[in-house]
Amino acid sequence: MEALLQEFDTLLLYVFAGLSLAGAIAMLVLQHPMRVAMALVATMIWLGAIYGLVGVHFIAAFQILIYVSAVMVFIIYVIMLLDVRDMAYTRRYAGLLIPGAIAAVVFFGVLAATLWRTVEVPLTTTAAFGIGQFAVDFLQQYWLQFEVTSVLLVAAVVAAIAVVKAGGKDHG
Amino acid sequence: MAHLLTWIVVLPLVGFVLNGLLGNRFGKSFVTVVGCGLPLAAFAAAMACVLDLIAGGAREPLVHVAYTWAVVGDRTFEVAFWLDRLAAVMVLIVTGVGSLIHIYSTGYMHEDRSYARYFAYLNLFLFFMLLLVLGRSLLVLFVGWEGVGLASYLLIGFWFEDAEKARAGKKAFVTNRIGDAGFLLGMFAVFWALGTLDMDKVNAAYMAGPPPAVAASVVGVLLFIGATGKSAQIPLYVWLPDAMAGPTPVSALIHAATMVTAGVYLVARMSGVYMHAEFASSVVAVIGVATAFFAATIAVVQNDIKKVLAYSTVSQLGLMFVAAGVGAYGVAIFHVYTHAFFKACLFLGAGSVIHALSGEQDIRRMGGLAKRIPVTFVTFAVATAAIAGIPPLAGFFSKDEILWYAFASGKGGSPLLWAVAAATALLTAFYMFRLLWLTFFGRSRMSHEVEHHVHESPLSMTAVLTILAALSAIGGFLALPHWLEMQLPLPPVPDALHHFEWPLLVVSVVIAASGLLGAWYFFGNDAARAQRVHAKGLHRLLSAKYYVDECYERWLGRPLVWVSDRLFLNVGDRMLLDGTLNGLARLAQRGAGVLSRIQTGSLHRYVLFVLAGSAVLLLWSIGRV
Amino acid sequence: MDKLQLLLLLALALFAIGLLGVVIRRNLLVMLMCMELMLNAANLSLVTLARQTDTSAGAVLVFLVFVVAAAEIAIAIPIVLLLVRRRHTLDADAYADLKG
Repeated sequence: MEALLQEFDTLLLYVFAGLSLAGAIAMLVLQHPMRVAMALVATMIWLGAIYGLVGVHFIAAFQILIYVSAVMVFIIYVIMLLDVRDMAYTRRYAGLLIPGAIAAVVFFGVLAATLWRTVEVPLTTTAAFGIGQFAVDFLQQYWLQFEVTSVLLVAAVVAAIAVVKAGGKDHG
Repeated sequence: MAHLLTWIVVLPLVGFVLNGLLGNRFGKSFVTVVGCGLPLAAFAAAMACVLDLIAGGAREPLVHVAYTWAVVGDRTFEVAFWLDRLAAVMVLIVTGVGSLIHIYSTGYMHEDRSYARYFAYLNLFLFFMLLLVLGRSLLVLFVGWEGVGLASYLLIGFWFEDAEKARAGKKAFVTNRIGDAGFLLGMFAVFWALGTLDMDKVNAAYMAGPPPAVAASVVGVLLFIGATGKSAQIPLYVWLPDAMAGPTPVSALIHAATMVTAGVYLVARMSGVYMHAEFASSVVAVIGVATAFFAATIAVVQNDIKKVLAYSTVSQLGLMFVAAGVGAYGVAIFHVYTHAFFKACLFLGAGSVIHALSGEQDIRRMGGLAKRIPVTFVTFAVATAAIAGIPPLAGFFSKDEILWYAFASGKGGSPLLWAVAAATALLTAFYMFRLLWLTFFGRSRMSHEVEHHVHESPLSMTAVLTILAALSAIGGFLALPHWLEMQLPLPPVPDALHHFEWPLLVVSVVIAASGLLGAWYFFGNDAARAQRVHAKGLHRLLSAKYYVDECYERWLGRPLVWVSDRLFLNVGDRMLLDGTLNGLARLAQRGAGVLSRIQTGSLHRYVLFVLAGSAVLLLWSIGRV
Repeated sequence: MDKLQLLLLLALALFAIGLLGVVIRRNLLVMLMCMELMLNAANLSLVTLARQTDTSAGAVLVFLVFVVAAAEIAIAIPIVLLLVRRRHTLDADAYADLKG
């Protein structure tokens, strides 16, 4: 039974990995930005599923909450706002398709080959990594970083307002 | 007591700072008090030190280390002051005559707009001159040496609105720099050979033991090149006559009494080197006697009262070098000492004449002044007699000693040297009395306007003239060479020559007298006989000063300008330096032009560079990590 | 191929695809989304390696990446809005003002 479950988990992992890869590739080829956004949302969801499978459930939850709902909603909103049908829409690729593809393949190939050769300790633990332990570690060891992120967020908010204001000034 | 030495030097510097910074604000009386008071204080301090030295038997010098300038490795460069018999004589001359001339200047420069600046410069000069005289090390001496050159430049070009005078200052400075190059090389040679620049140690090193790595003659000749610049000897004398562009008291102090004797002082100070440098000593003697004769012939036909005195100074300096060249250093210093009095008196007298005639300097437009300005006349006459060598005035003693050693010194004396020096003495007596006659006797040749204003100078000037005239009269009775003999031994005289001493003494009196009579013969009775002498070619040659300035201009000046213009400016500067720099700039510009094509502004391309760059890096790192 | 290699390979592929997307797609918004994909790929590798070493540091980093991503998008979107308002196009090639 246990072994069967293991097998099932592994199978699911392959399925989710394949689906997210497919979503990513779809992002490259789809034309309309909204479709690209949908493909990205799909990829993110599948990644969230993978996180769940390897046992970090709370990160899976964050993935859905923050990425899919907050960030992507923001992007979709803007896509709807800016429905500009211009060159960027009719011709989806810039002129660098072939050199870019070659470079990306080399990049991927070299790293993959390296990964292939170096067999590390295999990933075996799928035991749940609870939010409790994470919270304790987080607030005991990494509280400073946590506080710094809040500074970063404040800065981002201020910057966003500044950008909007500066743009507003330009146009009276 | 030795710490007073520092005060001697520093007091004039204080005067310079006060007058330079505050003089214009606080007015003339402040400048007068500071400008004259501090040199007098320095004189008093010098007097105290010298008395202290004498009280101690004057065997051990007073030494005071004022400041450690630099420590390089195990070598220390100190600003140390050193007062021995030689320095004592010089320091008294410098502060004493210097103070007198400061006092004289208060009268002479009274109307000048730049009164404070004048006294500031004069005090600055005194500071550097005292540094030169009292320095123990050649380095300190050199600082003073350069400093007096600076002060001289500033004062020659004191009325710098006049381009001619500013140019004279520049000429003096540049000519001196040529000599200074020799001085510096000499210093390098000494330091390289001995590792010290303290003059007492250098002298001792050459006096005793195995000869140092650099021959004494090399050092001697190099230092003498410096001396030819500062003391106006052939070939670098050309600046001194032009230096008369400065105010007359400056000519008296710097260009007659003190600064120009620095070269003689240097040779005497380094006597330990010169005593063992036969070649350098003969160079000194030959250059000295040549300059003396050469300048004396020029002085015969000059018409500017100050030019005559200037060439006379060059000539007298030449005689001093003759004495130094034959080993009679004490005698040279003796002549420095008497010359300081009578030449200062002559210059200041000339200043008084110029003052009386509202700026007239041409002796052809003077005459008959004896009764109009009697004090000036009497003092001038005394000084003239002194320089001409009429006994028993000061010049007689020193000049006679120089002639005697030129003849009899066992270290390079010769009848030929004596003959030229004696001819110089004759010419000196002749042109000096000519000057006296043309200025003070005969009919007045002044314009009506000038004649109306003739007046005797104020007390500040006449008092100084009187003091200096008195010193010129009696100064020779001080047996200075004898007092200096312990430090600067006189050269040996071969026994066979001793019986010449009295005849030669008589001859020098005869020389002086015949100079006087000759001048009276030619220039008495309103120079009637002189006008009948027909020697146009010689006269023109002498008036043009042997065309030396023209020759320098033609054979040195123009080639230098040509070389600097063609070679250094066009090839060196414009082509090589500018060309290299411009070429580099153009290369950078072109390189930037090529590289800027990468800056397409296309976001995609930038990201592609990132991607391709990391791909290449990864490819490169395969098998290496 | 065990799970570790699979997941790392996936992360690698997603990252390369994201980078390639930034290079080749014209649309500014699509380029932004591709960058989000790259961030996700990084997250995946962090989580994977955190699971392998069984430490919480990786998870903390992922959390921080979330925050950074949120901040990034919060600034990037207004910038894109401004750009479009100025030139009325989403074509990245239209904004080549930095051309040397």
